[in-house]
Amino acid sequence: MHDIVLECQGVSHAFGKHKVLYDVNLKIARGEIVSLVGPSGCGKSTLLRAILGTHPPLNGRVLMNGVAVTKPGRDRGIVYQRYSLFPFLTAEGNVAFGPMLDESTIVDRLIHWSGWRQKREVHLKKAADLLQQLKLAKAVHHYPAEMSGGMCQRVAIAQALIMKPQILLLDEPFGALDEATREELQTMLLELYQENLTARREGRTPPYTILIVTHELNEAIYVSDRVIGLTQYWAWEGTGPTVAPGATIAYDCVAPVFHPDEIRDFSKFIQQREDLRRIVFNPEPRYPREAHLNFWSDVDSGKALGLMQPLDAQNPS
Amino acid sequence: MIRREISTSTRIVLGGLSLVILGYFYTWLSDSRHRVNPNDRTIPSWSQLGEAVQTVVTPHPRTKEVWLLDDAGATFYRLFLGLLIGVLLSVFLGVMMGCFAPIEAFFLPSLSFLAKIAPTAMLAVFFVLVGVNREMYVALITFGTLPTLAQSVYQAAKKDVPEELIFKAYTLGATHAEVIWNVIFKQILPRVLDAIRLQVGPAMVLLVAAEWMVASEGFGYRLRIFYQRTDMTVVYVYLIVLGITGFLIDAALNWTRRKLCPWYGD
Repeated sequence: MHDIVLECQGVSHAFGKHKVLYDVNLKIARGEIVSLVGPSGCGKSTLLRAILGTHPPLNGRVLMNGVAVTKPGRDRGIVYQRYSLFPFLTAEGNVAFGPMLDESTIVDRLIHWSGWRQKREVHLKKAADLLQQLKLAKAVHHYPAEMSGGMCQRVAIAQALIMKPQILLLDEPFGALDEATREELQTMLLELYQENLTARREGRTPPYTILIVTHELNEAIYVSDRVIGLTQYWAWEGTGPTVAPGATIAYDCVAPVFHPDEIRDFSKFIQQREDLRRIVFNPEPRYPREAHLNFWSDVDSGKALGLMQPLDAQNPS
Repeated sequence: MIRREISTSTRIVLGGLSLVILGYFYTWLSDSRHRVNPNDRTIPSWSQLGEAVQTVVTPHPRTKEVWLLDDAGATFYRLFLGLLIGVLLSVFLGVMMGCFAPIEAFFLPSLSFLAKIAPTAMLAVFFVLVGVNREMYVALITFGTLPTLAQSVYQAAKKDVPEELIFKAYTLGATHAEVIWNVIFKQILPRVLDAIRLQVGPAMVLLVAAEWMVASEGFGYRLRIFYQRTDMTVVYVYLIVLGITGFLIDAALNWTRRKLCPWYGD
């Protein structure tokens, strides 16, 4: 029995006559880092918005810990590519924003001034500590306009993580960054995954569950333990719909797990990248959607890696 | 080169030069008039202006009124109270319109219509509806600035806050009220302060025009009295006072924006 955090059940969506998503079914277990890839315009962002609860799907439903999602909530954190931070708050203020909302009301902040100030000091200290952990100690008092794109994204991740969300949604978070910064942030995700593995080995609940939407295939395979391909290019004819029904999940497989200190060797996943190109990105649909959904069968047969691997099969080093 | 920055000292020298040229031009114009008519008071000489200053700051021998103080008190009370109420109403209405579509749909057509009518053209309506008293001037400024200001705030609340930030605030546990106060209002505050700054001029136009027509004290009233006597000495003094006041209000709002919104830059 897996600890399922997020589940999409038959999620379909359309904008007028334009069908975007078709019968998307997805389960994400606690502690996984999952990449979602797909061609431009396939509905990745639409699916993410459905999960976030800002744009509910026309059909189907999204469940968080078994409860239907109807609106955005603090169990789901989000980091966007653009507008990732509140421009009017410093790095510290941005990270302390969630705790502030959690532990006080507008009335507390406006009227019960002395009690609020004490709480505020605790929030700011907590935020500064987290920023220090993320190597941002010097940027604590900087506004987003005074920081680089990479620093902003790092702060945005801290802002979400301080709330300990059930799942963290990353919407092409590193898309606008230079190569070196992107690699640095990818390594940060691998470090979070290592914390999950350690927690699991020690019998604790893995703290981070992440769904990352990206258009970069190397990144998708490198940072996650599972890659999902959403595509409109699947062989739908003869399956029921009479017109193009929209994108669905046509690829769901385990991805190799890398250690943050390991040298990046992209040749290790050339085959998986080519599979993704062929199955997800090729505009000539050739495969039925069920053909490459191997993840859960690999988990059940013990072939999965990382967190989904049976505990006794893991190398504790 | 286009938009190339200049040093602060160059900026000060150029700004000072423009004032010197303005003063020189005025002196030349005044001298020309006084060569033709030494008693001319339409473009007063500097000494005549000095006498006018003395007149407006010295208690009147009969009524004991100090014109400048009394007029400034009356005008600025009306101006600041009218602006304060107008700003509070406009910000509240504009933010609500930017946040909630039904409120937007209800108010936008009437606000757009009212914003198209020159406020001075509405003076007669205010005189008749509210009467010629202190409340009339306050109402005049409040409702004269509200349509434009509320629309500026509404535009900022609707367009200047990316929906991503609003969604993010909800994921961090914000309530609707917290999204409005802690995200939308905080983000549009510099734009609101700029919009208020731009409304001070029109509010002053409206007030002086109304005082010119019906007041018995205030800058507009005094300007009318001296205009009717073709004595521009006090008029120029009052114009200078109005200019300096406008400049100070502008500087104060700019300073407030820099203090409250350091992230916004200049």
